[in-house]
Amino acid sequence: MNGTDIQVSICGSAGDGTIAAGEILRNVMAEIGYRVICFDVYPSEIRGFGKCIARLRISTQQAYSLKSRADVMVSLNDSHAIAHVGEVRDYGAVIYERSSIVDIPEGGHISAHLAPGHLPYPVPFREVSEKATGANRSRNIVALGFLAGLYGLPMESFRRAIAAKFGRKADAAEANVKAMQAGYEAGAACFKLDDVSFGPPAATLVPGGTVAMINGNAAVVRGCLEAGIANYFGYPITPATSIMEKLAAEMPKHGARLLQTEDEIAAISATIGAGFAGARAATATSGPGLALMSEMIGLGVIAEVPSVVFVSQRGGPSTGMPTKTEQSDLNIAVYGGHGDAPRIVIAPTNVEGCYRCAGKAFEMAEAYQTPVIVLLDLYLSNRYETVVFPTRPPFAPDMNRRPEKNALGPGYKRYALGGDSVSPRALPGEPDGMHVATGLEHNELGRPSDAGDMHSAMSRKRHEKLEAALRHPDFTTVKRFGDEGPVEVGLLAWGSTFGECLEAMFLAQAEGIRCAAMKVVMLWPFPTEAVTAYMADCGQVLVPELNYQGQFASLVQSQVARPVTRLARATGAPMQVAEILDEIRRLAGRTPGVRRAA
Amino acid sequence: MNMPAKPVYLEEKLRQVQASGRLAFRSKTLPSWCPGCGYFSVVDGVTAALGELGIANEDAVVVSGIGCSSRFPFFVNSYGFHTLHGRALPVATGVKTANEALTVIAVGGDGDGFAIGGGHLPHAARRNVDITYLLLDNGIYGLTKGQTSPTSVTGFHTSTSPYDNTDRPVNPLLMMLAYGASWVAQGYAGRPDQLQRLIVEAVAHRGFAYLHILSPCVTFDKTARTYRNLDLAVHDLPADHDPSDPMAAMRQAMQSDPPALGLYYREQRPTLGDALDSLVEKAGGRLAGQAAGSAKLRAAR
Repeated sequence: MNGTDIQVSICGSAGDGTIAAGEILRNVMAEIGYRVICFDVYPSEIRGFGKCIARLRISTQQAYSLKSRADVMVSLNDSHAIAHVGEVRDYGAVIYERSSIVDIPEGGHISAHLAPGHLPYPVPFREVSEKATGANRSRNIVALGFLAGLYGLPMESFRRAIAAKFGRKADAAEANVKAMQAGYEAGAACFKLDDVSFGPPAATLVPGGTVAMINGNAAVVRGCLEAGIANYFGYPITPATSIMEKLAAEMPKHGARLLQTEDEIAAISATIGAGFAGARAATATSGPGLALMSEMIGLGVIAEVPSVVFVSQRGGPSTGMPTKTEQSDLNIAVYGGHGDAPRIVIAPTNVEGCYRCAGKAFEMAEAYQTPVIVLLDLYLSNRYETVVFPTRPPFAPDMNRRPEKNALGPGYKRYALGGDSVSPRALPGEPDGMHVATGLEHNELGRPSDAGDMHSAMSRKRHEKLEAALRHPDFTTVKRFGDEGPVEVGLLAWGSTFGECLEAMFLAQAEGIRCAAMKVVMLWPFPTEAVTAYMADCGQVLVPELNYQGQFASLVQSQVARPVTRLARATGAPMQVAEILDEIRRLAGRTPGVRRAA
Repeated sequence: MNMPAKPVYLEEKLRQVQASGRLAFRSKTLPSWCPGCGYFSVVDGVTAALGELGIANEDAVVVSGIGCSSRFPFFVNSYGFHTLHGRALPVATGVKTANEALTVIAVGGDGDGFAIGGGHLPHAARRNVDITYLLLDNGIYGLTKGQTSPTSVTGFHTSTSPYDNTDRPVNPLLMMLAYGASWVAQGYAGRPDQLQRLIVEAVAHRGFAYLHILSPCVTFDKTARTYRNLDLAVHDLPADHDPSDPMAAMRQAMQSDPPALGLYYREQRPTLGDALDSLVEKAGGRLAGQAAGSAKLRAAR
């Protein structure tokens, strides 16, 4: 990558202000005009002594994932940082507390773990903080100030970012600005040893758009609001909660209604109730909530009622690893629930995709009268990216197919068969459209029927109507990147992992391997035709994903009779670019080289 | 039962029924209940209430769960949503939240409401969702052919409690009062005129109206909750009962088995819709528009 491409890791213990320092840094870098991708690792306890890491990739060109190696590491707590110091590249910087106020056992100090190529910056965070503010609480800001001073980042921007963050607490803002200043001066006065340097930020911004630095969940909220969400019902669950929190603040401003329900079953029930009444309604949850919602989603399928369900996946099963990422709810999203219950499942691959998928999900739900599940994951929900948003929302306000006047009356066939299998839907309040939507199998009028031929006809209707979503010009189903035509290795991926796939693909291409990558956005109905055609171009197909079984690989193989190579990892962390690259080299028959900084 | 003083001829009865307007709210689907089932009088009461309050067919939505009583929406000529076992209340909450102009009536049985759906009752009541909840209590699971329910009496014999039902039944009225329902009453299928009055009042109430309806299962319960036993047991609330006094309502709910018929409690307080509108105002948003509804319904409120 040309220009600036620097990754900073800040590592500490819960309560050290690790994530806060990362937040200030990313806001400043985005404001100056760099492109930023950030992802924080945090424990599921609020305090305690869990490990927190804020990772930021700061670049001038578009990046698609974090890098495997860091250029700069800041340690706010050596006991956690020691395990990660190995991710710092040669000639990269490690900034850490010089003195410790507690007795530490031998080897407990990070200085004992630096590799020969690491360039050390021991800084008395505590002392500087105490001198500047009278307390040691601002150690994290001192560390940030040191980093800013060392690399000559604009102090004024940090001052503004700190004022914005601590806006309501004037004392804290003042103390932190002092700490920042003191740290900055220490950094500026320090003799710089490493070769990390920030070039000028990207000068050009995309015309006709607005740039924002937001995370996946905030992008979902933006998509919901721009698509005209009228009702939201939800129950808090990590990592989906911030969708509801942001909507709770925003929806009333737009005259829309949000209700925190007693559980996830009530949330999806009310969402489907509102959908029945004609409103654009949604809920958001994680895997455990989706499991509870499965029965009601089946009702949405058979009663043909629109609804949108955002699912931010985390480590499972059961309570699993609530603050770690995973892509293991693909099976329940696609196949979950009882009976033949087809639904639309889509998955964005980056933060901008979260915005688009969120808005499009409402269109699809209305157009095909079906539940739509949007699969996110913790990595995507919580990762920040600089995104260019269109100035005008690209979402249609109403995709309902309403009945003609002459179709209404006592003989109104709410579930009329034939055509493209989407039957015009009367909404409560519409005269002569009265009908009963039911979870019982029914005839065209909506009256209960368990006749064999009716069940087959209605099952066919519910499956066939979704096929049209694959051909709809406005909906992205798949997209291919990299080399055209036949390739040695083709990556096939979905969701958040696709960013790492692209980065690995670029590196493989640079090594002379013919390589392509396809993202599958629509997971159900499965875009069999497009994927089959793509796979025909690939010598080898590699499917990287974050779960133990290789759920996506199994889905692909159930639709396309062609073996694929699985790269399935369940570690709770995003996939490593280097790991995908190694697998590409192996499949392409190249001798595995030395792992380079990716 | 009161016998009519003089015979009523079929033609005259038909004229009476047609004049009442309630036929406009009967669907063409014949109820699937057993002859003699108490639920017929509830359908009668609902269709009469909708007619009396001047609610247009298309403005009413009947939402139900699963069970004998939950077949209800099919027998009313309005919009209907026959949902999942236990989920009538949250679905009805969604319908009402999406469109305040609709009159939403949730219908379900004792198993649907107090067993599988029990977790939703406190929340619909405390939020004061502006819907009517008709709980048709026959003390048994009828659709699955006669198993014990949460309102079955202790010692009741069914196919799932062949020796004895050892559980004690819940006290629905006391629960709903404690949960904060803003209108609580009890009716009996064997007293259709009183029941009809209560249904009209329940639908007219602005807020969460809970109407508990005692009704026999003539097919699977020949011993406990029969018409004969209920006829002997039911009685009206004392004439001096004050429905604005929550403690008096709770004392009445605790007193006898089955407790008395009539209106236990009524209060006027902001509904969920009012609360959500107030949030829009606080946030500086614009309200979507005032609820329509019939003039008669507004007058009754």
